[in-house]
Amino acid sequence: MSANYEPNIVAFLCNWCSYAGADLAGTSRVSYPANIQIIRVMCSGRVNPLYVMNALQQGADGVLVSGCHPGDCHYMEGNYYARRRLGMLKDLMEFVGVDPKRFHMSWVSASEGHKWKEVVEKTVEDARDAGPFEGFRRRQIDW
Amino acid sequence: MDLELLRKTGAEVAARDDVKYLLGWKQGTYGYRVAPAFVENAAGAAELIFSPLCTANLATYLTLVEQLPVPRGEEPDTRKVALMVKGCDSRAVTQLLVEKGIERDEVVVIGCPCPGVVDPALLAEKYPETEEPAEMKWDGEDFLLIRNGEETKISRDELLAEKCRLCRYPNPVVSDEMLGEPVETWAPGEDKGVEEVEAKDVDSRLEYWMDQFDKCVRCYSCRNVCPLCYCQDCILDRLNPTWVNRSVNFSENTAFNIARAFHLAGRCIECGECERVCPANIPLGKINRKLARDVRDKYGFEPGVDPEAEPFQASYKPDDPEDFIL
Amino acid sequence: MTEKPKVGVYVCHCGINISSTVDVDAVAEFAEKLPNVKVARTYSYMCSDPGQVLIKKDIEEHGLNRIVVASCSPRMHEPTFRKAIADAGVNPYFLEMANIREQCSWVHEEIEEGTAKAKKLLTASVAKVRLLEALEQKEVDAEPAALVIGAGIAGIQSALDIADAGFQVYLVEKTPSVGGRMAQLDKTFPTLDCSACILTPKMVDAANHPNIELLTYSEVEEVKGFIGNFDVKVRKKARYVDFDKCTGCGDCAKECRVKDRFPNEFDQGLSKRSAIYLPFPQAVPAKFTIDPDNCLFLKKGKCGKNPKCQEVCGTEAIDFEQEDEFVEFRVGAIIVATGFDPFNPSRKPEYGYDDYPNVITGMEMERLVSASGPTEGKVKVFNGEEEIEPKEVALIKCVGSRDESVGNEYCSRVCCMYVAKQAHLIRDKLPDANIRIYYMDVRAFGKGFEEFYDRVRRENVRYIRGNPSEIFKRGNKLVVKVEDTLTSTPLEDEVDMVVLGVGLEPRADMRGVMELLRLSQSPDKFFLEAHPKLRPVDTATDGVFLAGCAQGPKDIPDTVAQAKGAAASAMIPLARGKVPINAQVAIVNEATCRGCAFCVSICPYSAIEMVTVNRFGNEVEVARVNEALCKGCGSCAAACLSDSIQPKSFRDSQILPQIAALGVMK
Repeated sequence: MSANYEPNIVAFLCNWCSYAGADLAGTSRVSYPANIQIIRVMCSGRVNPLYVMNALQQGADGVLVSGCHPGDCHYMEGNYYARRRLGMLKDLMEFVGVDPKRFHMSWVSASEGHKWKEVVEKTVEDARDAGPFEGFRRRQIDW
Repeated sequence: MDLELLRKTGAEVAARDDVKYLLGWKQGTYGYRVAPAFVENAAGAAELIFSPLCTANLATYLTLVEQLPVPRGEEPDTRKVALMVKGCDSRAVTQLLVEKGIERDEVVVIGCPCPGVVDPALLAEKYPETEEPAEMKWDGEDFLLIRNGEETKISRDELLAEKCRLCRYPNPVVSDEMLGEPVETWAPGEDKGVEEVEAKDVDSRLEYWMDQFDKCVRCYSCRNVCPLCYCQDCILDRLNPTWVNRSVNFSENTAFNIARAFHLAGRCIECGECERVCPANIPLGKINRKLARDVRDKYGFEPGVDPEAEPFQASYKPDDPEDFIL
Repeated sequence: MTEKPKVGVYVCHCGINISSTVDVDAVAEFAEKLPNVKVARTYSYMCSDPGQVLIKKDIEEHGLNRIVVASCSPRMHEPTFRKAIADAGVNPYFLEMANIREQCSWVHEEIEEGTAKAKKLLTASVAKVRLLEALEQKEVDAEPAALVIGAGIAGIQSALDIADAGFQVYLVEKTPSVGGRMAQLDKTFPTLDCSACILTPKMVDAANHPNIELLTYSEVEEVKGFIGNFDVKVRKKARYVDFDKCTGCGDCAKECRVKDRFPNEFDQGLSKRSAIYLPFPQAVPAKFTIDPDNCLFLKKGKCGKNPKCQEVCGTEAIDFEQEDEFVEFRVGAIIVATGFDPFNPSRKPEYGYDDYPNVITGMEMERLVSASGPTEGKVKVFNGEEEIEPKEVALIKCVGSRDESVGNEYCSRVCCMYVAKQAHLIRDKLPDANIRIYYMDVRAFGKGFEEFYDRVRRENVRYIRGNPSEIFKRGNKLVVKVEDTLTSTPLEDEVDMVVLGVGLEPRADMRGVMELLRLSQSPDKFFLEAHPKLRPVDTATDGVFLAGCAQGPKDIPDTVAQAKGAAASAMIPLARGKVPINAQVAIVNEATCRGCAFCVSICPYSAIEMVTVNRFGNEVEVARVNEALCKGCGSCAAACLSDSIQPKSFRDSQILPQIAALGVMK
């Protein structure tokens, strides 16, 4: 691993809590690593667990999914479904040899700009620790 | 298993007006082969068997049989399908009921309490296959192999399939008719296959599965044989969007296998068919059983037991584990 | 997609908000080379009028059909740019925004990393925008009528406001009379108006209003549909009294064979009523009701030779054959004003409410001091031996509130003041009594509250700071065991009567309404509002609003204010006559749907149902989305094993290329 290796992180954020929380981090001028790219979805429940697999296959070194705290989901229960599905996915990925440091899930509310920063830092740090993902990376990625 | 009772019941069911056909097992054309029997009338029931060689889970056919277009002016045949099931197979039926893959009144389930079947690969390895069809029976605690008129007693432990060693439901959980008395359940063994993989560090696990998935020829047999993989249009076949490219390489093979296993999380009833049919001998059962065990231990859920259950992937509990959340 | 995507990319400087950490010109230059991009420009403020004109002009000149704006958060200006491109004739949903301000320039410091990240985010947006679909903003008609559940002060006020505005209102009340808890109160703090005097006129108004259909002794049985079009079914329970014939004379109750045998709910059980009864003299409607659980004839099929009530009723209003009736109607909006339950102090056995008759609740005190109450306003209690006029009175606050041991962490907001008010009323009636109030804190936050609290203290009412640990009997006295925490003195005060200032709790029967209307509970178990600050009367179910204590403890002015707020909100769809429905809804590919109904189990809005379709002569079940109910969360899609249900604008086919674009750009 080269000394200046920077992991590439893809994050899926729900529109109502975590995306708003990330916006708040911006409005509050909280600074965090630039390795993270956010894809906005309406609800963490929208995140098909296979997105995580797909992101790793397509060039991500780490993946983050973030939603509303339990009980706060804008759609009432989407985050509970996400928790169950992604918890299972994490078990599966670990079992087939994907470093658990490459996939994280978090609850970040619209008022937790600072928590968002911490979550990003932890995600990036862990992915950096795990090193560039070779695993089942696709050789040629195309969009 | 009382073959007479089996054939008598089979004949009665196959003869029913409201039954389209009965699905059971019959002897294959050579060696240890057992073939699915589609019995359409009472006479056909004479060829039915139930033996330690009947590994196949016939529940697959409930959804695999294609619904052909109905010619104009004709009515679709909505008669019931009768099906012979072992304990594990019956869980597939139950899970199909949960997922509305079938309706309860569309099937007649004939339960076969099952003392455990053999691992066919192991059997063929230790006792080479003959050209003539061979027979096998349960004999007390053991198996009895009849090849070329010669009887061989084989201990249960020697040939018992891994899925049976770990089986917790040898008796069908759903049935309309039960053939004979329930068998006595046994304490499921330790799942050494899963534990061995779990004991490795993460890099060694990746190495292990790299070796395995590298062998995958992407024949999709594991998917096709699975009673619960019954989407008419599988996302892993689809081009828009492309979840998995068609090229056969480690990356795509792994994605295919992860997606397949994940789709069965909380749904797999551990019949072991995927692993049995894999031409590349990939230990798919380990992945499925690992997930099934996590679903059981962490979420307190077991698929294919209660037809009224909420599907695992379409439900949640407020106190589902969340120790992995930052 | 027949039309080839022609993408216009607009990178905003946002003054220097973006351009100080992102080289916007470099980003635009980079964007020009991306597939399908025809134009890429920068501008100082894209959201400004000239910025929008720039986009519109390009759409016209270059025939652009897809727009990407790289600027601030879509949560900020997505509607602005949607409208702008719609004005220029492009479908408003052919827009994608790259958030390069809140999630890029504002959180990163180096211009290199800011620029590199902006390029990535932009690439992902271009990847997605090409695959978006045109969506139509639909509207459905709204029924100009409202349902109000619960006819306490909140429900009555909401109903009156909506009815006064000219809309039909169905006001449904579970008990035989409107009025709710407020009707049971004696005086109201801090002004000491008589509760009945200010409430009864409103009760009568509600009953007589030409636009209000009052359904008392009725319960909502079923609610189907969605904002603008709720189909409601109400069960009108049998009163066994002909509503039109009953004149409310009361002869029946006087003659009832089980006269005055049963606890009168309105008087908190302090008085007795007959099996046929009017809840209280001012009840609206003034119609008698037979209590089927206690009426001899209804219970046993026999009541003497003939039921007395039937014999004496001059208008032959008694009808034992009466059955529950169902009323069905359609409304555009629903207000939930189901109120609260007073805390049941049996759950704090240390206070001896179940053991000592002279330990009473605040609600019972209201009835005792009321001139129309069971004692005609005289404060008298039975101390186990005799009925006495108490000389020593103790009032305890925060009973069942701010108390984790009973599961209620919240403050009930009314107890401080009603306890003060009761102390004042007791002082009025018993000038020589010793009155003590045991408290944790005094929260006199409302208009006129602090002044009232001061006044009560000056009326020789002792406030003792301490939370009593126990009440027990000594001789014919009750002992309040407490530590005065201001002086650290343990006390054992002997008193004749204890009033427990019980708090407010969510109604025990709220689950029914919750399930009917798909509402949620907040951690305090009251109904959850859509947003605690900005949408306090709305719920997560569009078209359903909250009023009064159903949403949380409130005093009367707050309840009325919220009721008026809920009425105003509910009238928006009624007045418009139309409700917009979300365009970004889920859609089912019926050809691939396998009918497992996972999506049906998941959908929190019950927006998906299974329908039977004909697939080449075979009948198969597939899922179908009701667009008016779907909120587009997409939870269904993540569970669909065959990807057959997908939320528009957030389809897998639109998100996977975004993921790939971010990977390519690594």
